[in-house]
Order: sequence, then structure tokens, then C-alpha cells
Amino acid sequence: MREYFHYFKWLYIILGVMLLCYGIVAGGHLAASKAAGYERTNTQCKSEERVFDYGDVLTDREEDKLRELIARREKQTGCDIVLVTLQESLEGYAREIEPYADYSEFVRIYAEKFYEDNNFGYDKPNGDGVILVDNWYREADGSIYTWFCTTGKVKEAYSDANVNHILDNVYRYVEHEPYRAYKTYINDFYHDMTGMRLFNIYVPGAFAWVAGIISAVIFMLYNMRPRRGGKTTTAVTYVAGRKPQFRTREDAFLRKSVVKHHIQRNNSGGHSGGGHSGGGGGSHGGGGHSR
Amino acid sequence: MYKKKDKRPGEAVWIFEGYARRRGSEDMLFKCKNCGSNVVYEPGRGRMYCPHCESEDSEDMIQGATMTQCVNCGAPVTVQDYASAGRCEHCGSYIVFNERIEGVYEPHMILPFRVNKESAVQAMDKEFKKRLFTPSGFMSAKSLEKMSGIYVPFWMYDYKARYDFSGEGTKVRRWTSGDTEYVETSYYAVLRKMDLDFDRIPVDASYRMDDETMDLMEPYDYGMLEDFHPKYMSGFYGEVYNQGAAELEGRAKDKARVASEELMQESLCGYQTIIPHRKDLNLQRAGVNYVLMPVWQYLYRYQGKTYQFHVNGQTGKVIGTTPVSVAKVIGYGMSVFAAVTAACAIGVRILEIL
Repeated sequence: MREYFHYFKWLYIILGVMLLCYGIVAGGHLAASKAAGYERTNTQCKSEERVFDYGDVLTDREEDKLRELIARREKQTGCDIVLVTLQESLEGYAREIEPYADYSEFVRIYAEKFYEDNNFGYDKPNGDGVILVDNWYREADGSIYTWFCTTGKVKEAYSDANVNHILDNVYRYVEHEPYRAYKTYINDFYHDMTGMRLFNIYVPGAFAWVAGIISAVIFMLYNMRPRRGGKTTTAVTYVAGRKPQFRTREDAFLRKSVVKHHIQRNNSGGHSGGGHSGGGGGSHGGGGHSR
Repeated sequence: MYKKKDKRPGEAVWIFEGYARRRGSEDMLFKCKNCGSNVVYEPGRGRMYCPHCESEDSEDMIQGATMTQCVNCGAPVTVQDYASAGRCEHCGSYIVFNERIEGVYEPHMILPFRVNKESAVQAMDKEFKKRLFTPSGFMSAKSLEKMSGIYVPFWMYDYKARYDFSGEGTKVRRWTSGDTEYVETSYYAVLRKMDLDFDRIPVDASYRMDDETMDLMEPYDYGMLEDFHPKYMSGFYGEVYNQGAAELEGRAKDKARVASEELMQESLCGYQTIIPHRKDLNLQRAGVNYVLMPVWQYLYRYQGKTYQFHVNGQTGKVIGTTPVSVAKVIGYGMSVFAAVTAACAIGVRILEIL
């Protein structure tokens, strides 16, 4: 065992340091969040509910966990955070309000109306807040649509790039892990609004497990490799004087040939990528994605 | 330097017996003049030493029975094939079998042990500490009791080598000017005439020792070679050559050829390609010596298999493949898995927060 601890001491020291760092970061974060608490002033909101899982894609326990998270994040951001999942066509509903609306607009119309009808807004009715409507129903054009709607100070704070980024992150998980996707939506929104996000990287959920397995396999293979002992003689070990004697050592130039190649230069430039554009009319902002 | 006539292993036994009967050669034992104990050669001191009364160079050479009885206690002695020195299992005295170190079996030279058993164990310990999956009992005191010093028979060959080479070499130069790349290839007639004097290329003459392992034990410092004297064998096991010099010469020539080729290739560096027109290596044997070289041998039995480890008795170089403990592989592997997984999970969590 002594040998074991001697060998792995650095591994455990690093692990301990990481745990300490985590404690410091998490503690600091919690303290900062508490310090930035907001007082809710909207008294006309028609619903205390924030998670409307009409599409039934979440379990009850997941819904409860999201509610708890939203309650905490609302205080930290001073914004209402609403989540709606659906499993129905919005064509009839949307065309009643906007007869010429495109398929991609249906979910926007629903989101804005839902937000307004419920008087959501942290500071006042139809005030600061966001709503994510994820309709799992495949519309007649073959797509599933999601809309992220911003209102009040969020509309001012969120650019198209921010909107696309949050929707991209939701779409990374939504097909297989809807709970994780919606949790990402809430946390990303919180980080964006509080400006506390230094790193914005995507780390797959299995990353830690895969890294552990790969490291263990490499470690085992490296230490199991047969080691017999190395060769410590060289070509001159048994040569008298440790070097060869050359009676003749000649390098006579014979001829030369030169080959020419024309270099093809590629002068064409690259092309820039496009992006999503979002934005509804009136007092709402935001954007949508489809899958 | 004189040369001996090569003998085949089959002949060797017959010659031992014939030689012993003719000369009445008797086994040797070195006894302490002061206390009568067995005096051995102590590598750390570089002289004869009595472990009982701790006196130095107090040996008296005693001669007695011939490979059947112990010179010291008279107990029957079991002599292994090709053994030239051994130990009485009854009284523990080290005996040198005179008839296997006399006449055509007398070594030209001997390289006395410079590394004693403690130093050999330390060298092994240092080496095997790095090998994580070695079973825990591998270097236990009980296992190490069986470690023994052996004088291994070697033939050492001298060669005069002459290597003539001719061929065509190319050197390539590239450069770019505007939209054109130029590749210039220059051709050379390459001629080399190289002489090499190979001095004492060693080849072990023991069936018991693995050839590859013995090759890895090299090199030895020949500056410490001594004229043969049986006293150096007291305290160790020893073997007479199992195969003759002619029989083993192929291995020595192979070593000389590989070294010659490598040195020739070194002299041809600078060329991108070499097309040989003529390669002529001539090896002329200039001499051969029969020498005893010191090797510590440790046999370790693990899960029904015997693992051999060898330590160069002069330089302390360790050769051997250690067994792998499955329990350690699983335990250590799981530790790494758990630690890395935890570290990554914490790292990801920190990044998520930040």
C-alpha cells in the first residue's frame, strides 16, 4: 500500500487541488449570486407556474427540478423565465392571429401571445423576462420549431448572436436529453444576463467517463509493456580505436539534372457563413430554430 | 595469446573424464588458515575473504575428491552438466571442479565479479521499482536467497574486417523562383574502403543462458580482465563452455557484420539515395579467447512460470522481463480511471460555473 500511495500521491494532490478550486469557484459564485438579488415588482402576473410541459417530454421530478432552478435564477437575473413544451400543430392558432404567417412564425406567435396573456414580466406585466417554446409537433412543412422570446431589458441585452447561441446549446441535447437542454437554457440565460460566463465551451456529458477510461487503458498498456532491458552497445564498442579506418573515401561528382514544376496558385477567396436571424415585432425580441 | 582447439559439446564430457583419469585432477576448496572456514572471493573488497573470521587473503587451497564428494565434508555432490564450480548442499562450501578448468578447459582469462550480491539486489530493486505491475513478493528476502553468481563461459573473437563499397549517391536541392519550383539532383560516384579491427566480440557458450539476454548484458569493461585463477570462482557457480568456438562463430560474425554495415552507412550520410554497385565485406578471424564472465542470476517463480533475471556482475546492468500481477493492474487501473474521471468532472463543473 505504501508503494501505491507513493506512486499516486501526485494524482491525489492534483485531485485535492481541483476540489479546492471547485469549492472556491462555487462558493464565490454563490456569494456573488446572493449579492445580486432582485425584488419582484409585478403583481399582476396570472400564473405562479413557469414550467408548462404540455408536450409531456419531462418527468414530474425533472419539472420540479427546473422549477426550483428557475425560481433561483429569476431572483439572480431579475427576469421571468418561462418554459413551454408542446406537442400540437400551431397552424390554426397562429393563422388566426397572423393569416399569412410562415410555418417558422407559428411558434413565435404562440410564445409572444402566451407571455402577454399571462402577464409575465419580473418588473411589470409584459416586462423583463424570457420564454422558450419548444413545439415537438412536426408541422406540415416537416420541421419542428422552437422559439426563444425576449422581453424588456432582455430584449436590449440580447443580440441575434446571443439568441442563436442559446438555441444552439438547447439543440445540442434536446432530442435525447430534453431535461438537460432546458436546464442549459435556464443556466445559459442566467450566465448571459449576469455576465459571469468566462468560458463558453461545449463539453459532452460522457467526456469525464471517456477521459477516465482512455487514461486508465493507456496507463495499463504503458506499464504492462514488456521491458527487458535496453541494448547498450554501439557499432564501435568492439572496434579497436573506437572508429573505422578508411583507406579510400571518395565522392566524385558525375552529373546534375534540374526539373522545373509550375506552381498552381489558388487566388479564390473564402466565403463567410450565414446566421440565424430572429426578431418578432412589437415589444418582443428573440429568435427561432427548427429541427 | 594462445589458441585452443575447439571441441563439440558431445566430446566435452568424454574429455573431462579422460583428463581426470590421466592427471588425477582433484576438486579445489579454499579454506581459511585462521579458522578453517570456506574462504570466498568478495567482489566489494576485490580479494579473498573469510565470512566467518573476517580475515582477508587467508586462503589455503585444499584438493580432494573428484566431482563425486565434497572436499570439505565428504557428502555426495551433484554436479550439473557443464558445471565448473558449485556448492555443497550439505555444508555450503564452494567447490571448484578442477578437471573442468584444466587443460583445454582452462579459461584464458576471467573477469572477476565487481558487483556483490547486495549491490546486485539494489540494482534490481532500482530497476524494478519503475515496473508498477510487478507482484509484491517479487523482491522479497526469501526469493532473493536463491540469487546466485555464475561465471558464464564466453568465446571472444577478434576479426580483421575489410569492407569495400561502391555505388551511386544522389543529393537533391529544391528552391522556388516566382511560380516555378526547381528540383536539382546531383549524382556522385561513391567509393569507400574501410578497415576495422574487431577486438573480443563476446558470444556466450552456455546452453543455460539465453543468447539474447547475454547480448543485452554487454558491454563489459575488458580493462578489468585478469589472468585466470580458480580463487575467483570460490563463492560462485561456474560453467565450462558448452559449445566450441567454431560452432558459435556465426553469432560473432553476425555481430561484426551488423556493426560494419552500420559504420559504412554512417559514412554515407548526406546522400538522399544510395544505389550500391558493390558491397564486399571480408571478415578474417584474428584470434579467439575463452573467458569467464560474471553474471548474477535470479529465478522467480510466479503462477507456475519461472522468470529469469540477470545482473551484469561487473557493471550492474539489469536484464529481465518481470511478471505482471493482474490484481495490481486492476487496482492501479481503477485508481487512474476514478481519479481522472473525478478530475474531469470537477473541471467541467468549474468551467460550467465560470
